[in-house]
Amino acid sequence: MKIIVCIKQVPDAKDVRLDPKTNTLAREGVQSIMNPYDQHAVEEAVRLKELLGGEVTVLSMGPPQAEEVLRQAISCGADHAVLVSDRAFAGADTWATSYTLAKAVNVIGAFDLLLCGKQAIDGDTAQVGPGLAMRLQIPYVTCVQKVRQATDSGLVLERMMDDGYDVLALDYPALLTMVKDINEPRVPSLKGKMRAKKLEIRKLTAADIGADPACIGLPGSPTQVVKVFPPEARCQRAVFTGSLDEQIGQLVDSLQPYL
Amino acid sequence: MLIIDKDVCIGCGNCESACPFGAITIVDGCAVVGDGCTLCGTCVETCDPGALKIEGAEKSAPLDLASWSGVWVYCEFRRGALAPVSLELLGIGRRLADTRNVPLSAVLIGSETGETARQLIAHGADTVYRIDDPALAHFTDEAYGAIMTALIQQNKPEIVLAGATAIGRSFIPGVATTLGAGLTADCTQLAIREEDGALLQTRPAFGGNIMATIVCPNSRPQMSTVRPKVMQALTFDGERQGNIVEVKPMPEQLATRVRVIESVVSEEDNVNIQESDILVAGGRGLDSAKGFTLMRELAESLGGAIAATRAVVDAGWIGYPHQVGQTGKTVAPKLYIACGISGAVQHVAGMQSAETIVAINRDKDAPIFDVADFGLVGDLFEIVPKLLTQIEERRKS
Repeated sequence: MKIIVCIKQVPDAKDVRLDPKTNTLAREGVQSIMNPYDQHAVEEAVRLKELLGGEVTVLSMGPPQAEEVLRQAISCGADHAVLVSDRAFAGADTWATSYTLAKAVNVIGAFDLLLCGKQAIDGDTAQVGPGLAMRLQIPYVTCVQKVRQATDSGLVLERMMDDGYDVLALDYPALLTMVKDINEPRVPSLKGKMRAKKLEIRKLTAADIGADPACIGLPGSPTQVVKVFPPEARCQRAVFTGSLDEQIGQLVDSLQPYL
Repeated sequence: MLIIDKDVCIGCGNCESACPFGAITIVDGCAVVGDGCTLCGTCVETCDPGALKIEGAEKSAPLDLASWSGVWVYCEFRRGALAPVSLELLGIGRRLADTRNVPLSAVLIGSETGETARQLIAHGADTVYRIDDPALAHFTDEAYGAIMTALIQQNKPEIVLAGATAIGRSFIPGVATTLGAGLTADCTQLAIREEDGALLQTRPAFGGNIMATIVCPNSRPQMSTVRPKVMQALTFDGERQGNIVEVKPMPEQLATRVRVIESVVSEEDNVNIQESDILVAGGRGLDSAKGFTLMRELAESLGGAIAATRAVVDAGWIGYPHQVGQTGKTVAPKLYIACGISGAVQHVAGMQSAETIVAINRDKDAPIFDVADFGLVGDLFEIVPKLLTQIEERRKS
């Protein structure tokens, strides 16, 4: 079983805050973490490897410091790590990102399964997984909440829907995106940490993956950001006065339109 | 890439403080760009001397952009019912189409859709493309995607909208990739730019901490998924006229590699919290799973559904479909009542676009009060029963 997991380094949401004075994101002390959904994808890959044998390769597109999340994945049981990094990738939207990752996957070679998190918590698009599958011409299933059955030839899965879930069967190769219900990611072992420290990370540039410059980074992105601005401030909080019963009465007054 | 003209830069630091990604630093009186740059362009506007420029942003536009015309809405149909977001999309779609002076079309894919196409016309569609086939009873990315892709290629609409639902956010990205079209996820505002008729797509990013407006200057169609409950549906008008175009799916479009074994409706009611007008949400302050009994009473009284924080979902007090926030669902109900929720940014990211937020919490300093329109400080186990009683009394009087 050959499994590739795509992971992304993102700023930790709990640190990301708007500076009220400058209306920009306060950056002091913002930690970088592995995208939470991707941790579940790495865990599921390692579980499938333990069940069926094989190896897990983690792949990330990002700046050189994205190496940290690749090492974290190694410490949690992944075997190989690949970083696709190039200044030419800057400004990539999901279309250009899925192109770049697809090119990198082709360099890594044959695989049975490609796993991704459902979405990254900085962009929240959930578009790269499906886009990557289309480029590689393999079927995909998003929002997988459970692997019911895994064999050498295929999987039976549960995929989360708005009104319940669908049970699906598919053969390899395929791409899956994971929601957090699927598993509980493990804590890195000491042995894993040692391995992660020493492991050499394979680095690929735009030229290494044979990327067409017109398809990567900003020039390759059909969507372009024209404006970034702070969200509208919510209206002032109403302050109720009097006893608790009176305050509840005032709240019920305010909620009249919804009753 | 971002080009900094060293001779023009005065090292004022405006760009440094404006950069949402912290990618610019002033070194020896001159701006220097780092790896974090996403070419968002925020800095370019803040540079008074005009030392910053983004290169590569201006591509020559393909000549045939004008041959793409009309606004399309994908109308989601599942288990014999239309997803409510479909009517909201027709509402905003109608506005966009009227501004552009082009027709509005709906795409209806499913099985046994009955009178649904008529309903879509009554809610604003000029044309409905109906693809009704028993093989489409279950949603699959492959069949729905192949049909949608082919229809778009044949008819060349300039704008395609779909709901930011489990289905829309799954197969629409595949369609956009095949078409080479720009797609913006989970939009909360859509408008037409006056100068060139481009679609301005606005969406929250970084957990709602910043808003970004996005355009697709050189590709068509311009595609967006749209957050449920944000756009206004038009009122039903049975007099409205429109035409229904029957489309037969090709056998190869129906051949899928993913097989649907069964489709299970959740035993719990109202797990689709994104479609609920009123949400009663519980956090750690509920003390135990039993606390949700009280939440359900309040939700029932208000005709709403139950939401929850990550902490209580992780504790197993309630299922994951109810989780609101960064690793759960993003909701935009009319009313959100947060009980015993402290208001961690990860949770707030998922609910701050609610119309009205009520917070009930013991801790008067809890951050949830910063986003709440109405706040009550106190014990929720005392407040909520009293609130229920007062609501009942109010209804009787």
